[in-house]
Amino acid sequence: MATALDNAELDELLQRCAQQDRAALQALYTRAGPQLLGILMRILGSRAAAEDVLQDAFIRIWQQAGQFDQLKGRALSWMVAIARNRAIDVQRTLRPTVLLDVAELAGAEQLQVEGPAERSESGATGAALRRCLELLGAVQRQCLVLAYQQGLTQDRIALAIGQPLGTVKSWVRRGLRSLKSCMES
Amino acid sequence: MNYDRPDLLDRLAADYAVGLLRHRARARFERLCTRLAPALNSRQRWEDRLLPLALAVPPVMPAPAVWQQLQRRIDELPGSADARRMDVSRHGARRWWLAAAASLVAVVLFVGRETWWAPVTWQAVAVLEPANQAPLWSVERDPNGTLLSVHTLGTVTLASSSSYELWVLPRGAGNPVSLGLLPRHGSLQRTLTAAQRQYLLAGAQVAVSIEPSGGSPTGLPTGPVVIVAPIAHSS
Repeated sequence: MATALDNAELDELLQRCAQQDRAALQALYTRAGPQLLGILMRILGSRAAAEDVLQDAFIRIWQQAGQFDQLKGRALSWMVAIARNRAIDVQRTLRPTVLLDVAELAGAEQLQVEGPAERSESGATGAALRRCLELLGAVQRQCLVLAYQQGLTQDRIALAIGQPLGTVKSWVRRGLRSLKSCMES
Repeated sequence: MNYDRPDLLDRLAADYAVGLLRHRARARFERLCTRLAPALNSRQRWEDRLLPLALAVPPVMPAPAVWQQLQRRIDELPGSADARRMDVSRHGARRWWLAAAASLVAVVLFVGRETWWAPVTWQAVAVLEPANQAPLWSVERDPNGTLLSVHTLGTVTLASSSSYELWVLPRGAGNPVSLGLLPRHGSLQRTLTAAQRQYLLAGAQVAVSIEPSGGSPTGLPTGPVVIVAPIAHSS
């Protein structure tokens, strides 16, 4: 089902969206929609909520496509950030205090960092990220994955893994620092 | 915060990319990125570094209705071609409306006691009762199916680690579609999405399943189905 997400193609489609080209929006939705919906469902835990947020995200992408060109960033990173940020806001409104169950925690231990949607260009980054995540302590890795893939606040991670908030914050901080220096080396 | 310090800026960018900033702090950082190139560079580097974690999540095909509804929402955006067309036709219709409104006032004055507005009339969707037990909830909708109203009728006993989730079962083949969680007490009203409305109006039955607290993690029922009830369609 997954198709490779070609950054140059997404970039071009975004430029056409900036010119109000609806066919480009449809092509963008076809290419990136399924990947974004997967990410949103992981954060929101509900297909209905995730599909609502997917629409919100594409409306924002449509409205702000003109600004993307000025940012000179990577199209997919920009779109994923828009979708994740919206989902995180909705999640914190919908279920701010729900604890994770064991299955969700177990899921965070699975460190698949090379997904079906990657193409070779980002595959190298994926391999580096996986290698560097594996060098972290298990609990640091778990905190980062819970925060990124499930959009959890540090408070909720602390509750979920039964550790003090200060400890979790320190693990996240040290984990990010180690990740950066490892990926730059 | 001292934005001249690259290390602090980079920390902020990392927190942004991971998703740790709260809404206001995130908006502040996004504004900063529009005027401070090092902030934008740090943010993009962090987003690119972490992107493989997002792409590792398996894709899920959206339902066809999602794209249709998205198109409608874009048509309704201010400045869209359709919205402009509607504005033009609204402008053209303004005189007609003024005349019609004047006539309506005259009719209302004439009729006297009659009222020309209609309050929301709720229509029954289903009464939810587990087998051999008293009813737990009644479910109603407005005539358009835009609003769903649920009233708790009995005592709901369920561990706090679980939730009751309401589903509509389509006629024939097809997956159940979630209508959200059911309340433990009191009443709630919920605005349905276009897709939920469509399924509710065309559906044959509703069902209730027991899910992890907060609802099904998959978008489909994962726990036992404890109630199935026919949908009452008014003729």
